[in-house]
Amino acid sequence: MIRNRSGLCLGIVLCLVLVFFSISMAQEGIPTDTADGPVLSRAVMCESIEGYEPLFVAVAFSINTGKISCYTSFENIKTTTFTVHRWYRRNELVTTKRLTLKSPRWATYSSIQLREADKGPWRVEVWDADDKLVQTLRFSVTD
Amino acid sequence: MFDHHMNTLLTFLSGIRWQDIVDIFLNSYILFRLYVLFRGTNVIRVVAGIALLWIFQRIALGMGLIVTSWAMQGIIAGAALIIIIVFRNEIRNVLQAKNLRALLWDFPQKTERTPIDRIVEGVYELARSRIGALIVLPDKDDLDEIVQGGVEWQGRISKEMLLSIFWNGNPVHDGAAIIEGDRVTRVGCILPLSSRDDLPQYYGTRHRAAVGLAEKSDALIIAVSEERGEVVAVKNNAITPITDNLSLLHCLREHLGAPIQNASIAKRDKLELGTAAAFCIICMALIWFSFARGMDTLTSIEVPLEYMNRDTRMQIVSTSVNSVRLYLSGSGTLISSLRSDQVRVKLDLSGAKNGENNFIITNDSIVIPPGVRLNRIEPSSVKLVLEIPATKTMPIQVDWVGTLPEGLILEAAQVTPTQIEVEGPSQVLNQMSALYTQQVSLDNLKSSGQLSVSIALEPASLKIPEPYKNKVKVSYTIAKREKYYQKQ
Repeated sequence: MIRNRSGLCLGIVLCLVLVFFSISMAQEGIPTDTADGPVLSRAVMCESIEGYEPLFVAVAFSINTGKISCYTSFENIKTTTFTVHRWYRRNELVTTKRLTLKSPRWATYSSIQLREADKGPWRVEVWDADDKLVQTLRFSVTD
Repeated sequence: MFDHHMNTLLTFLSGIRWQDIVDIFLNSYILFRLYVLFRGTNVIRVVAGIALLWIFQRIALGMGLIVTSWAMQGIIAGAALIIIIVFRNEIRNVLQAKNLRALLWDFPQKTERTPIDRIVEGVYELARSRIGALIVLPDKDDLDEIVQGGVEWQGRISKEMLLSIFWNGNPVHDGAAIIEGDRVTRVGCILPLSSRDDLPQYYGTRHRAAVGLAEKSDALIIAVSEERGEVVAVKNNAITPITDNLSLLHCLREHLGAPIQNASIAKRDKLELGTAAAFCIICMALIWFSFARGMDTLTSIEVPLEYMNRDTRMQIVSTSVNSVRLYLSGSGTLISSLRSDQVRVKLDLSGAKNGENNFIITNDSIVIPPGVRLNRIEPSSVKLVLEIPATKTMPIQVDWVGTLPEGLILEAAQVTPTQIEVEGPSQVLNQMSALYTQQVSLDNLKSSGQLSVSIALEPASLKIPEPYKNKVKVSYTIAKREKYYQKQ
């Protein structure tokens, strides 16, 4: 009798564990705009990327630099998702880059080639998969 | 051909406005009044002479006689000045008219207040008694500056008084007596002597004085000779011997403007005034025609739009055009003298609503000088976007320019405040995402520090709060590039 009762308890506990597991598995599919979605841990503008790290972080870049990059790193990534980098020269959208983010932490970047006509103030908007603005990076392209 | 001319004439007549008729008649009346006021004076003769000179000058110019035209122009300019100086007395007398009525519509009628009969009797007695006399009857000219000395008299005219004034025993008998109205106002006056050398030898000082005053004024002077008892009336340059009382009576009446009994003279006077009036109307009609209608000329002029009665809360965000082209016509004289500030296009914005408005430019919106006609407006309507300003909070971004010295890198920059509230047209604000500072040069930056920079407000209709109007603070961090090499 006691063995039967202990077997029932074990069955209930197992069921509860199964139910909890199935619920938690379902929650991973929730978009990243929930509090426990991807978190932007670093976002900088730089001249180049070496060894998955930004090199020469700056807010003003000479046109002679040739190429500049927007580096972003995310944490707390539960499932593969993406981020969008939108590059603006003053108020004009120049380019949009969609970048994949993979669990659990991921660093990614987008780059543009500078031309003579690109001088002036710029900004890069970092958006998440739910089209929510996460951060804006402001910089200038100079002589 | 005849029909064509008739049509042209009818078109011309139908184009005449009531204002044009008033214009012609008003100026004709002014011209006519000037004629009436100055009639009989030398001013009219000189003005007529100048008008003739002007016609000759135009003819000379038309014929290409450059020097003649130039000389005549000079003479005309000089003559206009001379008229004012030489005829200052006449001009003053006209302008000093006692009342407005005399200036505007009265015909100068000299009232016969002066007792002519008594003067005639007195002069007859003086001549008969061989008593020398000099009597002055002024007309329009003021004699105060010409006649010197004398004693105030103010006695009513009578035969006896005239005899007593010029009686040998009287201390003032040698001078002239001045008669104004029914009184002898001054006696013993000294008159200027004439320097003429064509006067008869037997004329003494008394006659020379009479001629001298007549030369300088429009007064009538009666001189009675002591030796021969002869009487002469002198006016202007005319010396008229008076042989009997009747001729003296006529002479006085003519001078003093006594009612003219002669019907033919009255008729002649009316005819003269009628002719003058007709001449004035024709003259003005011709002048008006040459100014307002003659030689129709077309022109076009670009006129900037002016906005009136705008709701002070509203701002003009955009306009389809800033100026319109007006196609005008009028006489060559008017069109060539047209100045840009005489033509204006005013749009009344009192009925404007928030957003896009379409305004039709009507004739009421256009100000043009009288006599100039508006034919066409291009474009005839204007699209105007008006907005009540909105506010938006925007971040401030530094607009860096130039190049940092070799080996340095601008790592970070922080603007204080990071964002500010901007007021401006909502359409403009919607398109903006940031405010930029004036350009900040990197050329001379060598180490981290702070800067004060202005905000570049584009468009200028944007407004920012007072504390940030001049400057915002920028803190910047400069690092050496080599630190990255060390890391590596």
